[in-house]
Amino acid sequence: MRTVITGLTRSKAGRKRWSRSRRSRLTTVGISILAVMVLLAFIGPLMVHNDPLTVNMSERLLAPSWQYPIGTDHLGRCLFSRLAAGAQTTLGIAALALAAVMIIGIPIGLLEGYKRGRADAVLMRMVDAIGAFPDFIMAIAFTGFLGPSLTNLMLSIILVNWIGYARVVRSIVLSEREKEYVLAARAAGCSSWTIIRRHLLPNIISPVIVLAALDIGKIILIIASLSYVGLGGQPPSPEWGAMLNDGRPYFQSNPSLMIYPGLAIMLVVISCNLISEGVRDRLDVKSI
Amino acid sequence: MNQAAGKSIKREAPIVSIEPVLQLENLYICADKGKEHRLLVKDLSLVIRPGETFALVGESGSGKSVTASAVLGLLPHNLQVTEGHILLSGEDIGRLPDKKRRKLRGSKIGFVFQDYQSSFTPFIKLGAQLIETLRSHRSCSRKEAKQAALEWLEQAGLPAERVYESYPFQLSGGQLQRAAMASAMMLEPALLIADEPTTALDVLAGERVLDLLAKLQAKTACAVLLISHDLRHVMKRADTVAVMRHGQLLEQNRADRMERDAGHPYTRMLLEAKPDLMELERMHQSTLSAEA
Repeated sequence: MRTVITGLTRSKAGRKRWSRSRRSRLTTVGISILAVMVLLAFIGPLMVHNDPLTVNMSERLLAPSWQYPIGTDHLGRCLFSRLAAGAQTTLGIAALALAAVMIIGIPIGLLEGYKRGRADAVLMRMVDAIGAFPDFIMAIAFTGFLGPSLTNLMLSIILVNWIGYARVVRSIVLSEREKEYVLAARAAGCSSWTIIRRHLLPNIISPVIVLAALDIGKIILIIASLSYVGLGGQPPSPEWGAMLNDGRPYFQSNPSLMIYPGLAIMLVVISCNLISEGVRDRLDVKSI
Repeated sequence: MNQAAGKSIKREAPIVSIEPVLQLENLYICADKGKEHRLLVKDLSLVIRPGETFALVGESGSGKSVTASAVLGLLPHNLQVTEGHILLSGEDIGRLPDKKRRKLRGSKIGFVFQDYQSSFTPFIKLGAQLIETLRSHRSCSRKEAKQAALEWLEQAGLPAERVYESYPFQLSGGQLQRAAMASAMMLEPALLIADEPTTALDVLAGERVLDLLAKLQAKTACAVLLISHDLRHVMKRADTVAVMRHGQLLEQNRADRMERDAGHPYTRMLLEAKPDLMELERMHQSTLSAEA
């Protein structure tokens, strides 16, 4: 009887372990892909010494060779260097936008949640108003209105996305500040700033990281999509979405002009999603 | 059982002309629930002198914890003091702005909670929290603060180094409560409010906590407002005992006289509810001799 029971539990525990390790293996895959992309962005230009911006009409649409590892585009620029430079642009802008979103959203959420009162009510209504707009449409409207450029695109992304963080942080702060240990800290005479910094801030780190991991993939897609439509990176900027757009007329003859940028976008977004799954697995604590 | 509204029996100790640490004058605390107003504390007046242990006893819902929160200035949003004065060393602190009131908390008024788990933040080590409490009231270096914290933990009868490096969940209830008491006494407040400090503990741990309270009180010469629901328990430890019910003070007397002179029927009921061992022995003896 005992051997039967141990046999059963061992297999059940074993199955659980396998599914968890499969998930963590996928996360590892995601991290490695992203690492390769980031490496490409930095090491690429050192490996291949071609200028991504120089137009060279005599060398257009060449096949892969030693000088041009994956060939040239319709204006004679090395595709590999453009991909590497594009990685810098896309990933850099996405990271910058995310950082700005967190820097704006988190303090506002903290203050709103802790202070409450009239300022909180006003800010929340503002947040609701901005949140009513879908971010894609806002980005299109913004860049269409102010003129298409990567800076305006970044601004529009920041404008719409900070509210997600403010909301999450605010809801956590609202629930935590009623807890007894915060009351104990107040009874001991701690200032509001000390309480926010030492007692409330550690509670928001995990959920914010989970949210950020989800958002980075979304932001990269918005940047690429809008650049494809022409509202983001302008030529000759080597942005992946713009490269996709440039390669469209040559899809029949030279599909590599579209395939490589498309593959790059796809790989980065998939890896971000895989990483976010892993992050969520480890950090998304269900509170009692 | 006649509980005439507002009638309270007071037999006080002879008046000594020292400024009282805490004086509550005709305090009314009211709860707002939309249009509904409910008085939680009615016409409460008491005086606590320096070095005195004042016990406030009453059943759940009698308003004793609300009174304590009002003194600290940490009443929840829907409760407020509608009438009366709270005087700390002669100063009316009810009228003070929140910032000044915050400075009093911890340094002039210490607080020990009933639930020992919630006295400390669960994800910060105890030592770090003690240092934070010290440094928010006094300007001293981290080293000095650590030294002071270890000393006070030692005083509380705890393994100082181990407790310093532990998280709250790594200590037992009694240890945590003693650490909380040490943390409150560290700042040497003029008044320590202990809100049912032993209710959540077993009898032995509770006794240790109260012993520690007496010891630290002797050391810092502070006044103690001991809130409890157990009349017999506090009669041994307190100088003055006051009984509350439904927000009103029913009876107040010196602890050694309370058992003899208890006039109010509710007080008598509390005393009779839990006879001590000696009384049980006497009752047993009287039943035996009656049968014989």
